[in-house]
Amino acid sequence: MEVKLPNLGEGAESGTVVSLLVSSGDTVEKDQTLIEIENEKAVAPIPAPAAGKIGEIRISEGDSVSVGQVILILDDGAGGGDSSESSDSGESSSQGSKPAAPASSGSAPSGGGPRPGGMPMAPAPGFGFGFPQGMSAPAAAPSNLPSLHDIWIPGAVVHSADSSAAKAGFSPPASPSIRRTAAELGIDLMKVPGSGSGGRITTEDLKAYVGALHQAVEVLMGHLQAMSAGPGAAPAPEKPKPKSIDFSQWGEVKKEPLSSLRKTISRRMTEHWNDIPHVTQFDSVDVTDLNALRKKLAPSYKEKGARLTMTPFVMKALVQALDKHSVFASSLDEATQELVYKQYRHVGIAVDTEAGLVVPVIRDVDKKSLLELSAELSEMAEKAKDRKLSGDDMSGGVITISNQGAIGGAHFTPIVNKPEVAIVGLGRGAMQPAVVGEKILPRLMMPVTLSYDHRVIDGGTAARFMVDFVEAFKEFNEENSAA
Amino acid sequence: MNSIETEVVVVGGGPGGYAAAFYAADHGKKVLLIEREPRLGGVCLNRGCIPSKALLYATHMITEARESAKRGISFQDPTVNLDQLREWKNGIIQKLSQGIAGLAKRRGVEVIQGRGYFDDGQTLRVETEEGQQFVKFEQAVIAVGSQSALPKAFDLGNKRIMTSRGALEIEDIPEKLLIVGGGYIGMEMGTVYAALGSKVVMVEAMEGILMGADKDLVKPVVTQAQETFEEIRTQAKVQKMATQGKQILVQMEHDGEAREELYDRVLVAVGRKPNCADMGLENTQVQLDDRGFIQVDDNMRTNESKIYAIGDVIGGVMLAHKASKEARIAVNHILGDNLKPESFIIPAVVFTDPEIAWCGLTESEAKQKDIPVKVAKFPWAASGRALSFDRTEGMTKLILDPDSERILGVGITGPNAGEMIAEGVVAIEMGATAEDLANCVHPHPTLSETLMEAAEVFYGKATHVASPKRK
Repeated sequence: MEVKLPNLGEGAESGTVVSLLVSSGDTVEKDQTLIEIENEKAVAPIPAPAAGKIGEIRISEGDSVSVGQVILILDDGAGGGDSSESSDSGESSSQGSKPAAPASSGSAPSGGGPRPGGMPMAPAPGFGFGFPQGMSAPAAAPSNLPSLHDIWIPGAVVHSADSSAAKAGFSPPASPSIRRTAAELGIDLMKVPGSGSGGRITTEDLKAYVGALHQAVEVLMGHLQAMSAGPGAAPAPEKPKPKSIDFSQWGEVKKEPLSSLRKTISRRMTEHWNDIPHVTQFDSVDVTDLNALRKKLAPSYKEKGARLTMTPFVMKALVQALDKHSVFASSLDEATQELVYKQYRHVGIAVDTEAGLVVPVIRDVDKKSLLELSAELSEMAEKAKDRKLSGDDMSGGVITISNQGAIGGAHFTPIVNKPEVAIVGLGRGAMQPAVVGEKILPRLMMPVTLSYDHRVIDGGTAARFMVDFVEAFKEFNEENSAA
Repeated sequence: MNSIETEVVVVGGGPGGYAAAFYAADHGKKVLLIEREPRLGGVCLNRGCIPSKALLYATHMITEARESAKRGISFQDPTVNLDQLREWKNGIIQKLSQGIAGLAKRRGVEVIQGRGYFDDGQTLRVETEEGQQFVKFEQAVIAVGSQSALPKAFDLGNKRIMTSRGALEIEDIPEKLLIVGGGYIGMEMGTVYAALGSKVVMVEAMEGILMGADKDLVKPVVTQAQETFEEIRTQAKVQKMATQGKQILVQMEHDGEAREELYDRVLVAVGRKPNCADMGLENTQVQLDDRGFIQVDDNMRTNESKIYAIGDVIGGVMLAHKASKEARIAVNHILGDNLKPESFIIPAVVFTDPEIAWCGLTESEAKQKDIPVKVAKFPWAASGRALSFDRTEGMTKLILDPDSERILGVGITGPNAGEMIAEGVVAIEMGATAEDLANCVHPHPTLSETLMEAAEVFYGKATHVASPKRK
């Protein structure tokens, strides 16, 4: 049977293969992860739809694949799959057989870079293109685009409209066949520098010019993409290529390649940290009574197969605060410069797994009971540890909770999970001397932090949110929290 | 009523028309070719290029034989049998014309003899001897050419006042021949008749003869003509002609002096006019310019979207090879090629003795348009080949872009200049420089070496010319 890329959820149409976990000839169990696909939402494992033996693999790491595309052939012993599967396989396999798009982009090579149509490059040294020296790069985005007319080929003669030949009505020096080809390509030969005697345009010159145009277009596309990433966003300066440091000069080392998930986390965190001006608010919540209530209710939850932790309480308190401060459940649409207020209350829960951080999302927290939330949390945690979360499982959150309480530690500054605008970090609750009324009493205090996107949320708003969030913890009682 | 449907109809079977018809047929079009004369080939073949060249060749023998005496080989005075000469000339025309008819047949191009008349933008009425035929066409190409202009004042209905058409029939050898007009037709026919023994007087209203060509190229021709012609009068104007017995009484003004002279024949060669006056163009959107030529766009299309026009009838230089090139442009457009056609240069040849040929930019045009150029000349006096056949008056010159040294124009005067100019055309169209030409080996001893040596003159290193170093 053909295994196709399933729906990734959230309207995502495609993703990149970050890891290929099976090889041709491998025997796999049903639900065993075949590949991991990364899109802008998440890294999603793609499970085997059935047990069987892996046949032909039609993708490789780094490939961009779209929903419905055939990933590989799985021999499930059923004898070649049903006809409905193969009916659209022609299209799928033709997509699949496309050569992997090379990821090369950015800087134009000064020598013979890839040429369209595989044409051999002119042997002339130093061919390529650039922009004339002294052409400054203005800061404003639109004028930052280089003009195609500025393309020049070093060593070749640029034709002048002031030449005697041009004044006499002659086209630039080139054979009739080259002039014809240029006309067919819509190229003005006046702009094609000629390397022959007297600036005569050779076939190679025309090819070099077409190649330079091609490169220029790629550079321009890069500029345009940089521009569309944000208004006024100047194209990111070329990052210097990272250099390796030889740590072994100071002692023994051990090297381990980054896992694909780690690479994704690394890239995402850098992106979120760079894109969002973070501010973090600190507070503590007195959970002495709440913890007592939790302990009291826990057995009845356990009877119903759920483990009652602090997290469902935090989630409930959080959605209450969100209702009062809806901007914390918003997203900034940078393209349209609009704030999108989400009317649903899906909450992301950061889960620490062996492989790294994943963030499953619990839907409609406002409509669910503590019991339902407890059950779902356990289920998600389980899935996360088995790396079985789907793209759908990890998308659509409006805010994220990162709870380190089970591990330890106090306040920390979590990074906002873009496109969300806020994240709540919880530390481990600890007995502390607290002033209650006129007395100092030992109370169970839970450290709470709130990191938010200062582009969208101001400090006052955040402080008010924090007050209401902390206040919401007092709302829980035996009646409204019973299983 | 007889109605024919065709894809392409070509009106006029000259070098433009038949080229268009054949090219369209070669690309799978159903083509109809309309020609009013019984023979295909147009003016060029029947009463222009070909017969004039035949006569120039034949009569050149007379001059050659005479010249030969000084080299120690003498002939008796020639006798001329005009009927035989005419028959030989007509035989050539017939052979070529039949050849074209055969080519048409083999391509499946149907030829109808008759006059074409446009009823509207998609219908051509053809008036044949058998009656009218209506042709519904998808595209029409007008290639009806031009004819010699005969100003009303000279049109006395006297056949002794001829245009080139009559002159090529050589009915007799007039003792005294007046040629009105010092263009290439007048010069070529004058050369023929002078060789046959006529006393030729040439009258030109402008200050020089062969005004299109550079003066230095024309000079050897004028020198030669001054020897063979009785007289060349420039800035002279014929005012009146009258029949007087078997002669023509001509009144003219020359050097501020009125003259009255008797001639046995007069050749009027003062220009040509388009043949499109009476072909129903008023029933179409086709537009004419103020001189009566059809206006076309870059792709040879007229204002009427289905009608194209090529050759003499659209004006410009009236040369067969220009019409043939335009035929291809028009048909390419009909075939769906919508690209703006590449510009091309049209070489010109005057088949006088010596010949003059040029292409591209001329020196005088550069001067007139204030275009800076460098000119390199190689005199044939330094050519062994020219010396070996006793013709050293010739010259080969290159007109060059001063910066890129690209060849912009080539001019040649001397025997066989017409054959040699093709190399100049190739050099210009290929964007060659003087250096390119200098670096190409030319065979010795030939006149073609003069092109290479002219390029070497530019660099001051021509083998056979000692010239001050230019660069």
